[in-house]
Amino acid sequence: MGKFITIGERLSTTAPAVNKAFTERDPEPIIKRAKQQLDAGAVYLDVNIGPAESDGEELMKWAVKLLQSEFDNVPLALDTSNKKAIEAGISVYNRSKGKPIVNSADAAGRIEYVDLAAANDAIVIALCNGEGIAADNDERMMFLQTLLERGMEHGMEETDLWFDPLFLVVKGMQDKQLEILEFIKMISDMGLNSTGGLSNNSNGMPKHIRPIMDSALVAMAMMQGLTSAIVNPNDLRLMETIKSCDVFKGNTLYADSYLEL
Amino acid sequence: MPFTAKSGKFNAKINTVEIGTGDKAIKIGGENVLPFYTFDDAIENAPKVGIEITDGGLDNEPECVKKYYEGCATVVDMAKKAVTFEGVDFLSIRLEGGDPNGENKSTEELVQLVKDIAEAVDVPLVVCGCKHVEKDAELLDKAAAALEGKNAMILAAKEENYKTIGASAGLAYKQIVGAESAVDINLAKQLNVLLTQLGVDGKSVVMNVGTAAAGYGFEYVVSTMDRVKAAALSQGDATLQMPIVTPVASEVWGVKEAMASETDMPEWGCQEARGVDMEIETAAAVLAAGSNAVILKHPESVKTIKTLIAELA
Repeated sequence: MGKFITIGERLSTTAPAVNKAFTERDPEPIIKRAKQQLDAGAVYLDVNIGPAESDGEELMKWAVKLLQSEFDNVPLALDTSNKKAIEAGISVYNRSKGKPIVNSADAAGRIEYVDLAAANDAIVIALCNGEGIAADNDERMMFLQTLLERGMEHGMEETDLWFDPLFLVVKGMQDKQLEILEFIKMISDMGLNSTGGLSNNSNGMPKHIRPIMDSALVAMAMMQGLTSAIVNPNDLRLMETIKSCDVFKGNTLYADSYLEL
Repeated sequence: MPFTAKSGKFNAKINTVEIGTGDKAIKIGGENVLPFYTFDDAIENAPKVGIEITDGGLDNEPECVKKYYEGCATVVDMAKKAVTFEGVDFLSIRLEGGDPNGENKSTEELVQLVKDIAEAVDVPLVVCGCKHVEKDAELLDKAAAALEGKNAMILAAKEENYKTIGASAGLAYKQIVGAESAVDINLAKQLNVLLTQLGVDGKSVVMNVGTAAAGYGFEYVVSTMDRVKAAALSQGDATLQMPIVTPVASEVWGVKEAMASETDMPEWGCQEARGVDMEIETAAAVLAAGSNAVILKHPESVKTIKTLIAELA
């Protein structure tokens, strides 16, 4: 097994500073946040430009070129509901460090994002969701099959679909947590890759609690076979946990300096 | 259903390291397949074979090796002779007389010898220390300085002295730095990390991950090498993609199977044959486990191992 793949989540329009920088095409704040994430060990960077309905294509191209030229063709996840913007981003994307990731498809209204990934030899994050959150693992598996078949029909490698079980918030959905972990095991047993927005679990919790909950969950999820997650790489506790779990899983060979690598 | 053979070549590869200068320079490493898996992909550089002499000269050699150096009055004479034997790619000089618990020769004396040898031969050079970590820090530092421009291999930096030897051989004098661990895969990785954190270019580092004569805890040696190559190639671990150099001679020519005389052990038969067999068996096994170069003593072993490599690589 390869090392766990972290996708840094901090370039998102949900952060006002990033939103402003994207709108004004101001490279400084973008580069700064990207560097912080890469220095902390992020493998991929997510580039969430929001819906970007008016200028998405031009904005995504700008962001891809900016980040890849600044950071030696860093691999990116292109994250927007504007499909044309994703295609535009891929058109200027350099794959020497990894295929682009299309973020994201689901088994309902966003299933065409699978086709888009297939047509562009990209990875796609495939949310095991329909119109709403799956009621149980049977339904999740049904959505997974729908997405997997769609990918196969379009000639994708099955390992290029990274299935997202959709992590749920503990406060309010505590009773669903084990079910999600069981589903990750099901994905893993099928030999498939998985990812997801891990920190959903700790939404609404006090700030000092979140790294603890996120770290505990990532350890349990990695034990179940989770191969990637969309995370805040500047959460030191979380990153140390991931590196330690990579050692226990044999994904990387231990050395005393393993946390510095 | 038709069988489709799948290539076992990896996306990652072992670093290519050049040793020596000019026409006689050699390259080791560069492969993206398991040892001798030429059916998966071509091996970029076949493993290389070195011959070892020591500062102790002829007195220090087993009887069965002495005859090959007949007429040699000095260690430099031996060096000149050694590089003429069939199959020799490089020369290793082991400065074991420097050991404070042994002869305790001075650093000046030994470094002068290294210089004299470097002037007398044109093959790539390897300088091995005396295994005393403090003395080696001094000895190998000075040897690295004396060989500036020769692109020699300095064996080796250990956990206890890597800062001095790494800074000298790797940073100041641009030699190839050997990183030595004793059959401890985690330390092997750690030492590479420490050397690169010191500023040494990972592409000028080779590893001696430790060895033993066949039969002396040898399964640990093999499993260490196997796991180093697995991490380097299948996990793409850049901290373990350094080629492996294994000094076989100094291990083999110390065990009783190689050294006990026929008078003492008549039932074991000819001592020379036993010693050569031990050396060949050990070298063949560490090559099969992933060593990119071996250092041997007996000219017959060198010739045989060179033939084996030519047939397989």
